Parts: sequence; C-alpha cells; structure tokens
Amino acid sequence: MKFASAVLATAALTLSACSQPDSATSDTIQSEQRVVNVFSARHYRSDEHVYAAFTAATGIDVNLIGANGDQLIERVRADGERSPADVIITVDAARLHRAEEAGLFARTDFSQLAANVDDHLIDPDGYWVGFTMRARVIAYSADRVAEGDITTYEQLADPRWAGRVCIRESGNAYNQSLMATMVAKSGEEAAEAWAAGIVANMARPPQGGDRDQLRGIAAGICDVAVVNHYYYAMLANSGQEADQDAAAASVLLFPNQDDSGAHVNISGVGIAANAPHSAEARELVAFLLSADAQRLFAEMTHEVPVIDGVEWDNAVLEAMLPFREDQRNVSELGDHNATAQRIFDRVGWQ
Amino acid sequence: MAVTGTAAPRAAQKGFNATSLAVVAALICAAPILVVAWIALTGDTGDYLAHLAQTRLPTYLTHSAYVAGVAALGTGLLGTSLGWLIARTQFPGREFLGWVLILPLAVPAYVAAYAWLDLSTAGGPLYTATNGLFPTIRGSWGAGLMFSLVLYPYVYLLARDAFASQSADVYDAARTLGSAPWHAFMHTALPMARPAIAAGLALVMMESLADYGTVSHLGAPTLSIGLVRAWSGAGSLVDAARLSLVLVVVALFIFGLERAQRRRARSVTGSGKTRPPQRFVLGGWKGIAALLFCLLPLALGMFIPLGRLAYLALSEPSTTDLLDASLNSLTLAITAAIIAAALGLSTAYALRSKGIIATMSARAAGLGYAVPGAVAAVGVIAILSGTQQILDPIWRDLTGAVFPILLTGGAAALIFAYLSRFAAAAIGPAESALSRVTPALDGAARTLGATPLQTARLVHWPLIVGGLTSAGLLVFVEVLKELPATMILRPFNYDTLAVIAHSYAADERLGEAAMPSILITLVALLPMVFVARYLSSRSAGGQDR
Repeated sequence: MKFASAVLATAALTLSACSQPDSATSDTIQSEQRVVNVFSARHYRSDEHVYAAFTAATGIDVNLIGANGDQLIERVRADGERSPADVIITVDAARLHRAEEAGLFARTDFSQLAANVDDHLIDPDGYWVGFTMRARVIAYSADRVAEGDITTYEQLADPRWAGRVCIRESGNAYNQSLMATMVAKSGEEAAEAWAAGIVANMARPPQGGDRDQLRGIAAGICDVAVVNHYYYAMLANSGQEADQDAAAASVLLFPNQDDSGAHVNISGVGIAANAPHSAEARELVAFLLSADAQRLFAEMTHEVPVIDGVEWDNAVLEAMLPFREDQRNVSELGDHNATAQRIFDRVGWQ
Repeated sequence: MAVTGTAAPRAAQKGFNATSLAVVAALICAAPILVVAWIALTGDTGDYLAHLAQTRLPTYLTHSAYVAGVAALGTGLLGTSLGWLIARTQFPGREFLGWVLILPLAVPAYVAAYAWLDLSTAGGPLYTATNGLFPTIRGSWGAGLMFSLVLYPYVYLLARDAFASQSADVYDAARTLGSAPWHAFMHTALPMARPAIAAGLALVMMESLADYGTVSHLGAPTLSIGLVRAWSGAGSLVDAARLSLVLVVVALFIFGLERAQRRRARSVTGSGKTRPPQRFVLGGWKGIAALLFCLLPLALGMFIPLGRLAYLALSEPSTTDLLDASLNSLTLAITAAIIAAALGLSTAYALRSKGIIATMSARAAGLGYAVPGAVAAVGVIAILSGTQQILDPIWRDLTGAVFPILLTGGAAALIFAYLSRFAAAAIGPAESALSRVTPALDGAARTLGATPLQTARLVHWPLIVGGLTSAGLLVFVEVLKELPATMILRPFNYDTLAVIAHSYAADERLGEAAMPSILITLVALLPMVFVARYLSSRSAGGQDR
C-alpha cells in the first residue's frame, strides 16, 4: 500500500512538473504578456540583472535556459521548427559559427541593430553579432620580468621562457580561439611550431583555471601566464586578501599592440531561425547592445563593451583600457577551430 | 515514463511472472544509449579518429585506466573497511556514523576537486603552510583520489548491508577452528560480501570513467576529455559518440567481471539468514581508533572541501535565492529515486528468471552510467524530438499544426534522462540484495503453502528492503549532483542546486559556489535521516522477534 501511494505521488509530481513548460508556452500565446525565450551559454548569474533591466525597460519577460554551448546547439537543432528558442547566446565565436552552420540562426540585418559595433565583431554573413569582448592576455611577474621583456604572443614560444610559462589545458575554448587566431595569422605550420614552443616552455602540466595560472606567478612557479583579462579583474576585486596579493604580483599585458592587436573572443547573440517571438528577440538584441546593458557587463563581469562612450564604474577594468584588439573578423575563429584542436593534439598540449 | 512507473510495482508483486514489463522498462532506459550507438555507427566517417589514434588516443586510454584503477582501489579499501566497522563492530559514535558516512557521496567530485586544487595549488594555503611540500592534488592520481573520497559510499553502503545481513555462523566456525580474526574475515566475511563490493566498485569505475568536470579541472587526460574535445573542439558529435562506445565496451567488460564475481560467490552463500551476527565491541583505544578512521574520509571528502568553500563564501557573500532551486532538486531527486528503485527491483526479478532477453535488457539499461552525461543527454534529446517528429503527420491531420513541444524541455524528459543514466545505480544494488534470496528459500516458502505474492511480501521483502533503499538513495544523490543532462533538458527558468553551483564554479567563483554545494549535502541528509531511522527501527524489530 505504501508502494502504491508512493507511485501515485510520483505520478502526480511528474505530471505537475510536466505541465510547467506547457503553462509557460500557453502564457505566451494566450495572454498579452510578451516574452522572449533565451538559450544562453553564459553561465553568469549576474545576467539575471541584465534580463531584469530588459524586462523593466520593455515589459517583455525573459524565459531562460542556460547550458553548455554544444548542448544548446544540439537541442535547438533536434527540436527543429518546434524549438521555442528566440535568441541563442554563446561565449565563443567558434560556437556561433557552428550554430550558424547547423542552420539555427535567422539572417538578420544588423546595420541598424548593431550600428555602433565594429564590423569585425559582426558575422559577415549576418547571422550573429558580438555583444561583449573578452581579451586573452599575458600576465607577467612584477618582480622577475622587466617591462618590455615580452610584448607578443609569438614570444611565448621563445626558449628564453623555458620552464616559465603557466597556461591551462587545451580543451579550454579560449586557448582554442587563440590558437585559431595564430592559424589565421601565420598559417598552420607556423602555428604548430609556436604551440610546440609553448609546450616546451611550460612550467608545469596544464591544470586549474585562469585564476590558478595567476596564482602560479604569485607563488613563483612561473613568470608568465596566459589568461582572460576578466579573471585578473576578478582576482583584483576579490574580497580575499590572498587573491588581491596574487593579482598585485603580476602585470597584465595586452599583447601585439604594435602589430596585429590583442586576441579577443566574444559573447555573441543571434536570432533563432524558428523564433516564435522574433520581434521580441530583436528588442533583446538591441538591448544587449545598449549603453544600459553594456554598463552592466563592464561592471559585473568585467567584460569589454563593444560600443564606445559607455559610462561605467569599474576601476580595475578602466585601468586596462584602452587597448588595440585584433581587427580580424571573429568569424575566422570558427573557421580554424578544428585545425587548432588538431595542432594541440599533435604537439601534446594536454 | 508511465510504463516505467506502473510496470515496476506490478512486476514486483507478481514476482517472476511479469518479467516482460520489467524488460520493456529496462529497454526504455537503455534507448538513449542505443541511439548514441546508432549515431556513432551510422554517422559520416571523417579522418578525426585516425588523427586521434596517431596522437592522443593511447594517452586517453592509459589515463582512463589509471584514474578508474586508483578510484577502485581507494573506494574498495575505504568502503569495505568502513562497511565492516559499521556493520560488525561497536564503538563510540557508530550509529551516528552509520549514515553520516554516506554523505560525501553528495559532494560532486568536481566540487571536491575545485576545493582541493585551490587548497594545494602553488600559492594555496596548504602549499604556503608547508613551503611547497604538500603535493598539489592534480593529474590522474589526484582525480582518482577525489573519486575515492566522494564515491567510497557506493562500496561502503553495499558492503555494510552485505556484512550486516551475513550469518555469523561461518565466521564463528572459522574462529572456533582457530582462525585469527583477520584470517576469518578474509576467508569468510569478505568472500560472502564480494558480490556487493563488486557491484559498488563497478559503479565507482563507471562513474569515474564517465566524469568530465573533475578530470578536466585536475588535468587528467581521460577518454571522456577526448570525447568532449571531439565534440567541442573538432565539432564532431559523431566521433564523440564513437568514443563513448569505447566507454560502453569498457562498461560491459566491468559488468562481466562483476558477474563473474557473483557466480564465484554463490558457493559460499548457500544458507539463508540464520543467526544475526554479533558485534565486536571495540573498547578503549581501539574504539577511538575506529572512530578516527571513520572521521578521516568524512573530513577529506566533505568537511575540508566544503569548509574551504564556506570560508571563501564569507568573503564573497552570495545573494542568489536558493529556496526554489532546493525544492526543484528535491522534487526531481525523490521522483527519480522512487521510480528507479521500483525499476531496479523489477529488473532484478526479471534477471532472476535468467532469460536471455531479460539479462540483456537489464545490462543495456545499466550502460547509461558509463557514458558522460552530456552524450547521454544527446540520446534523450534525439528520442524525444524523434517521437515528436513521428507524431507530426497525425497531429497535422488533427489540428493542422506540428506536434507541440511537449516532450523536450519538460520535467518528464529530465526523469527519463536520469533513469537512463542511473539505472545501473539502482539495478546493481537491487540485484545484489535479491541475490540473498536463494531459490531454496522460495522453495521452502512455497512448500509451506505460501502464494508467490506472499512469498514476495513475507520472505523476499524483509531481505531486500535494505538493499533496495540503498538503490533509491544512490539514485537520489546522483540526481542531486547531476549536471549536463539537467542543464540542457530542464524547463525554462528551472534551476537546481547543482546547476547554480556549477555556474559559479565554472566562473571560478568558488566562494559563491559554496552555498549551493553545501545545500546539496544538506538536502541529501533529509532522506538519509529518514531512511536510517526506518531501517534501524526495522532491524530493532527484527531482533525482538
């Protein structure tokens, strides 16, 4: 009897749980309330504030599913024309490229929508646009490395840095996109030689996240590290004294300022091919590129705004800017991602 | 899902007559993995696998073996010794520890890995305090160690249950004949518990092979790293599916070993339960040593990593509202655990029929455990979206529109994914519990005039309820921690504790990941307290009899 009641309770739970997404869709259709369904690979909890600001500004509610970019692509693809997705957001240009190839995006005229965004952050085919930039930069020890000792990515492979480089594993999307840039810039062969040089220079096998690379400098394990700029900002802004000390032990350098510029990847957005609410989707894209949203990104996640003239309050980020970023179109990152992955495998970059 | 829900209890009641329903339920659970296999076998062939074979594949394979081996060794030693101490001895704090020792299972391995690397990495507090002498917890041995610390409860739970239900006669006979306690343990108690220990180890090995978060953070290049890289880096889901087939084959091999163990064990479990075992009273320093030994894995697997996170949390107070997420986690985990326990029981009965179809479907249902969750979720998505596509023409005739999106993105899809993924965690323990019910017992009951239903209720149920509860508990805790399938299949705006913990940890904000991680263990405590009370009241009643 206990069993029977347990099964009944289970069935009830399952049914009630099943009805949840159902009611969300019927709301959309029946009531006046406008909604937009967002599939996002951004895992930042602070994005809630961005969506709340959007709802406050436009009256449009945001439904959110957050997951890994590859999974999002697979789900939207499998759901096909019945997919509820209105906009798809990823944190890596290569994923946007892949979503584009899977036919998930509707071609959008960004000339108005993204009028203030630099061309190299917009897909030339018109399927997606970058709305924040994250730079992959070099950090070096304030004590053991002199200013000017290293100024470019290429120099990381120089034997003078043997046993002195900290960098994370090659499965990391930002290492892949940096490698893709190197392929785009100097060809596969040169990029492979560069990667082999870095592997030879590693102070330790790749481990941990970007913050751990910075801590490696502070602990004297390595003298230079490759990290995304916002991890440095997070350490510097941390409430932990040890974190602040770790940040203070290194100097952040935006590489290649005299030639190609620092490598940037993007958080990007596209409108879904089968968007049930495409008007609302356009409004969300416009909002993400507005001064209000750009200020929130700069303040909360230390990302670099893609439009000029945005006012924000974040001293650490302020101190890093301005810098010259690579003007190559970020869509090339997707073109060379698979090649980058194979180079990593061949040179044994864990 | 309705099939699974109703099939299980019915099969349980009718005993071994209704195996076909159990088979259907097991096959439904196996379907996502079969779909993944289909994707792997029918997809385009590129040159990626050839490239991999020339470059990283040997590394992936050796490190997978390394990680799973360390994990099996660690959990085997810890789980078996703890199980014996709790089941067969008496020392201060034993009753309390009996269920607290399960708790590290609720700590996601990647959370433990984040905390331990943070503590021991260059510049971390342990590194600084020991002047760099404390080794950095990383690489394949580090990952194996993390799995040992948080997965040992699998072995512990099953071994404890096995030791507790063993007849003391054999052990006592060995002692009477002059065997030293250790010798008697090695030659009587341990062999009798071997099926349970093997079932636990099989789960540990499969979970550590399928893990991605821990090995990726600690830099252990296992096959699942290669698999995710094939998907995310090279953009080939097909090749990822192919690599997951390798994991499936390994899982089949592990299952095979476990089966072999079970067959060998049959000879020593001939008699039913005869006399409840006597506890050895560990007094004085022995008792204190036992207590300290039990506290060690708790400290390393739970208190130290969560304490580190909690310490970090104090400097980065989180403002996230965790109440809804806790309720969501709890609802999903309870639902999945109950269905899974019923599924495990009915499948165990079906297995008892020794039919070839029953055996194969039960094995297939267990394979989901060996495949990384992200890949298993692809199978679930493919099945649900495929079903919707099949229904399209019918629906179009009726309404003129495509079939609505009812299946993907609902909680039912999540439960389906959980069952597919964790069926092994339910079937193994249930089967191990039912193996205690020997055919001779059935025969005796039937000879005394009991109907099959009465036999199941009066003879089987008391013997298997402990193992079955363990099965439900394992699935409950697994679902609380589950991440990849939850993330992609959840309904809109539906957070669980694991999802929130991950979103902070992925951003390297360990402090803010602390509260949801601690809550996962607290939520896991609830059913454990309940179950511990239920089981101890039952066993107390048993002794009165």
